[in-house]
Amino acid sequence: MAELAIENLTKRFGAVVAVDAVSIHVADGEFVTLLGPSGCGKSTTLAAVAGLDRPDGGRIRVGGTVYFDGRSGAFLPPEARNCGLVFQSYALWPHMTVFDNVVFPLTLRKVPAAERKRRVAEVLALVEMEAYADRYPHQLSGGQQQRVALARTLVYRPEILLLDEPLSNLDAKLRDRARTWLAELRTRLGLTTIYVTHDQIEALSLSDRIVVMNAGRIAQIGTPQEIYERPADPFVADFIGTTNFLPGRVAEAAGEDALIELGDGQRVRVRASPPRGPGTRVILAYRPEQIRIAAEGAAPDGAGSVVTARVVSRAYVGGRWQVALDLGGGPLRLETARPPAGDRLRLWLPAEGGILFQGSTDVSLV
Amino acid sequence: MSGAALSAAGAREARPAAHSWREAPIQYGTALLTVVLVAAPLLPVLYQSVVDRPLYDAGKQLTLGNFVRLANTDGFGLILWNTFVFAALTTLIAQVLGTLAAVLFGRTDMPAARVLGEFFLWPIYLSALVLSFGWYTVYGPSGYLTMLWNAVFEEPFWDLYSLPGMAAIAGVSLAPVAYIYCMSSATITDPSLEEAARVSGAGTFRTLRRITLPLLMPAIAYSAVLNFTVALELLAIPLVFGEPAGITVLTTFLYTQGVAGIRPDHGLAATAAALMLAVVCLLVWLQGRLLGNTRRFVTLGGKATRPRPFRLGRLRWPLFVVCALYIAATVVAPIGVLVLRAFASFLSPMVPLTEVLSLGNFAQLFEEPIYARAVWNSFLVSAVGGALATALIAMIAVVVHRSEFRFREPLHYAALFPRAVPGVVAGVGFFYAIALMPGLGEIRNTIWILVIAFTMRYIPTGFGAVAPMLMQVSPDLDRAARVQGADWWTTCRRIILPLMRPALVACYTILFISFFKEYTTAIFLFAPGSEVIGTALLHLWIQGEAGLVAALAAIQVGVIAVCVAAARAAFGVRLHG
Ligand SMILES: Nc1ncnc2c1ncn2[C@@H]1O[C@H](COP(=O)(O)OP(=O)(O)OP(=O)(O)O)[C@@H](O)[C@H]1O
Ligand SMILES: [Mg+2]
Repeated sequence: MAELAIENLTKRFGAVVAVDAVSIHVADGEFVTLLGPSGCGKSTTLAAVAGLDRPDGGRIRVGGTVYFDGRSGAFLPPEARNCGLVFQSYALWPHMTVFDNVVFPLTLRKVPAAERKRRVAEVLALVEMEAYADRYPHQLSGGQQQRVALARTLVYRPEILLLDEPLSNLDAKLRDRARTWLAELRTRLGLTTIYVTHDQIEALSLSDRIVVMNAGRIAQIGTPQEIYERPADPFVADFIGTTNFLPGRVAEAAGEDALIELGDGQRVRVRASPPRGPGTRVILAYRPEQIRIAAEGAAPDGAGSVVTARVVSRAYVGGRWQVALDLGGGPLRLETARPPAGDRLRLWLPAEGGILFQGSTDVSLV
Repeated sequence: MSGAALSAAGAREARPAAHSWREAPIQYGTALLTVVLVAAPLLPVLYQSVVDRPLYDAGKQLTLGNFVRLANTDGFGLILWNTFVFAALTTLIAQVLGTLAAVLFGRTDMPAARVLGEFFLWPIYLSALVLSFGWYTVYGPSGYLTMLWNAVFEEPFWDLYSLPGMAAIAGVSLAPVAYIYCMSSATITDPSLEEAARVSGAGTFRTLRRITLPLLMPAIAYSAVLNFTVALELLAIPLVFGEPAGITVLTTFLYTQGVAGIRPDHGLAATAAALMLAVVCLLVWLQGRLLGNTRRFVTLGGKATRPRPFRLGRLRWPLFVVCALYIAATVVAPIGVLVLRAFASFLSPMVPLTEVLSLGNFAQLFEEPIYARAVWNSFLVSAVGGALATALIAMIAVVVHRSEFRFREPLHYAALFPRAVPGVVAGVGFFYAIALMPGLGEIRNTIWILVIAFTMRYIPTGFGAVAPMLMQVSPDLDRAARVQGADWWTTCRRIILPLMRPALVACYTILFISFFKEYTTAIFLFAPGSEVIGTALLHLWIQGEAGLVAALAAIQVGVIAVCVAAARAAFGVRLHG
C-alpha cells in the first residue's frame, strides 16, 4: 500500500484556474474525501492523480514513485500508474459483459487464465454481483452498475483508489444502502482512497479526513468532527450543515471572553479564541441545534445569553415548525415543536459552541 | 470469500506491461500516410504547372510560361465561360428543384409525399456517367421518347447537346443535395416558427413565402455553393454531351489535354488543374464560412415530430400529378429505359418489346475478357479498397478525436482537404505522381493505383460518417481503460473501435458504393489490366456499343441498388448527408 502526496497542484483550463496550488497528504490506508460545490475542481484533482490530464504545475507522488513533477517535467502515463478510478458515469464498456468488463484489467496484466477466472469470481462475490456475470451493462440497475464499476477497479488491487461521486446517480434509498455498504467495504479493504462528493452526509460518515474545496483552493482539511465543529471560515461553516450567521462587533473583551453587540444593540456573550480586540467586526455563527427557545423569564447566565428576535415567517413541515427570524439584521432559521405564539421570540444562545469569524457583513453567501 | 484476502494478499499487482512507446509511431505513421496520400497528387500538379517541359524529362526549368500560354490558348476564355454557365445553370436548376421538393414532400399534405421523396433521392446513388447514358437512351437523338415525340409532333423541344440540356441533366442529379439540406433545416424539423405565423393569421402561401422560405435560405445557400463546386468538377455529362457538340469545359479540357489527346500538353493541363484547384479551394472555404452560419439554422438528426403539414387544398392532386410526372420523366425513365435497353437487342417505340428482349448484351459483355475483368476489378477495388480506406479513416478519426497527438489539428485539416481537390485534378495529379516516382512504376498497371487514388478522394466522405459517432462515445470509456492499465493503442483496439462498429460499417458501405461508381479519377489512371466499370463504360460508349453500355450500366445500378437496400434494411444507415 502507499501514501499519496499532492503538492502545490495547479491546473488551468484557458483562463480558468480549476485547481489552484492544492496540497493534500493522504496516509497509507487513509480514506480522504474531497468535498465542495460543483465546479470547485474535485474531478480535476482526481484526473490529475490518475494521469488523465496533465497538470500545469506541482508534484504528485505515491509511495516512492513520482507520478508527476511540474519542475522536472516527469509525467507517468495513466496506464503506468496503477490507480483505480471509479467514474461518476461508471464508464462500463457497453459492448462487454460484466465478466469481460471486470477481467479486462487482468488480461492487460497477463494474469494466467485460471487465476483470472478465480479473481473475477472473488471480486464479483465481494460486491455481491456474482449472479450477473453474463449480463451486459444496460441490463443492470444503476446501483448494480456502480458495484460492477467498483469491482472492475478492485480486481487489480490498485495502489490508490479514486472514487468520483460514485453514488450520485442513485436514488435516495439506494444511496443510503450503498453508503453503508461502501463504509463496510472500506473497513475491510483498507485501501488508500480519495473520495469525491458534494454530499456532506456521505463525507461526514465515510471519511477519516475531509478536504473542503472552494473555487479550486482548499478551504479546510480536517477530521469530520473538526470540520463540523470548528470550521475555518464562513464558507466551510455554511457548506457543512446549516449555519446561522449574525453580523456584529466586539463590544467588550477580556481574554477569551467577549461580548458581541449585534446590529440592533443586543449583546451576546461568547468565547472567542483567538481573542479579538474591542471594535473588531465579526460574524457569529450558530448551528440550528445550538439555539434554543428561552424558557419564560429566563435570564442570561454564565453559559449563555438571551436575545429577542422578530418572527418573519413560519411554516409547518410535518411534525415540526420551521421559523424564520430576524436577529439584529441577520436572518436566523430554527425548527420548533410548537409554533411561536407572538411575533417575537426569546432565544438562548450558548457561550460555548458559537463560532466567531473575523469579517464585515459578508453573509450574502448564506 | 473475505475482503481481507483481497487486500492482505499483500503482493501488489505487477504493473501492466508498459507499451506506451507504441503510441507515437502509430500516430505519426497515420499522420504521415494521410499527408503523403493527400499531397501525392497535388505537388506534382503544382510543380508541373511551373516547369517548362514534362516532369519525366531532364533539364526542367522553372517558368511561368505555362500560365501565359494557357491565357493565350485559343478559346480558353470560351472554356471558362462555358464552365461558369454550365455550373451556374446547374446550380440554379438543382436549387429550385430541391427546394420545391423539400417544401412539397416535407411540409405539405401531398399524397405519397414520402415515396416521391425517396424516388427524388435516387440520382445521388448513381454515377453521373450512368445517368448521362440513361438520359441519352430516353432523350438522345435516337432516344425512346425522342422517337415517340418525332412520330407525333415535329422536332423535339429539347437538345441535350447544349449547355441548357447538360445543365438540366446535372441539375436533376444534384437536386437531391439541395433537398437533403432543406429537409434537415430547422423550418422543416421545427414547426413552431411557422405555427406562430399561422396562428397570427397568415395564410398558407403567405406563410410559405414569408416564413418557410426565408428560414430555408441558409440551407439553400450552403447547398448552392456545394452544388456549384460539384458542377465545376463534373466530367461525365460534358464528356458525353458537350464534346460531340464542341462545347468544352475545364474538366473536358483537362481530360483531352492531360491524357486523351494524341500529344498531351502537360504544362497546359497542369496549369488548368492548378487554376481549378485554386477556385475549388476558394469555394470550399466559402462552404465552411456558410456552414458556420448555417449551424444555427440546420438541425441534424431525425425528424422526431412531424409538423402539421400545409393544406394544399384544391391543388393537392394536380400538384401530385405534376410531381409524379417529373419523377417519371427525370428519374424513373432514364434509369428504367437504360436497364430495359440492357435486356433488349434493340429499343424503339415502333417495335414491340417482346420481340427484342434478350440476354445477348450480357453474354457478349462477358465474352470480352476486358469487360468481364472491368466488372471484377470494380468489385475488387470497392471491396478491398473500401476496407483499407475504412481502416485508414478509423485510424485518422481516433488520432484526431481520441488522442493527445501533437499534430492532431493539422491532421484533421489534411484529412478533410481532399474536399477541395476535384476528381479530375486528383486524376491528373496521380498520373504525374506515377510518372515522377520511379518506385511507383510497379503499381502503374494494377488496380492498386486506383485504390490509392479513390481512398485519397473519399477520406472526407468516410470521415464524415465516422467522426460524429465517435464524438458520441463518452470519453470516460477510454479514460477508464487507460487508468486500468491499457495504453492508448490497446484502448483504441479493445474499447473505441469495437464501439464504433456501426459507424465503420456505414463508412464501409458508403465507400463501397462510392468506389464502385467512381470514374473521374479512374479514366486518368487506368491501364490495360486495371479497367473498372467506369472506364469500360466510356470505352464502349466511344465505340458506339449502346447495348453493351446499357448492360454494364445495369450491372452498376443493380449492385448499388442491392447495397443501398441492404444497408438501409440492416442498419438503417443514412447513406447521404
Ligand atoms: N476540459 C475542460 N475544459 C475547460 N474547463 C474545464 C474542463 N474541465 C473542467 N473545467 C472547469 O474546471 C473547473 C473545475 O471542474 P471540475 O470538473 O474539477 O469540478 P468538480 O468539482 O468535479 O464539479 P462537479 O461536482 O460538478 O463534478 C470548472 O470550473 C470547470 O468548468
Ligand atoms: Mg466532478
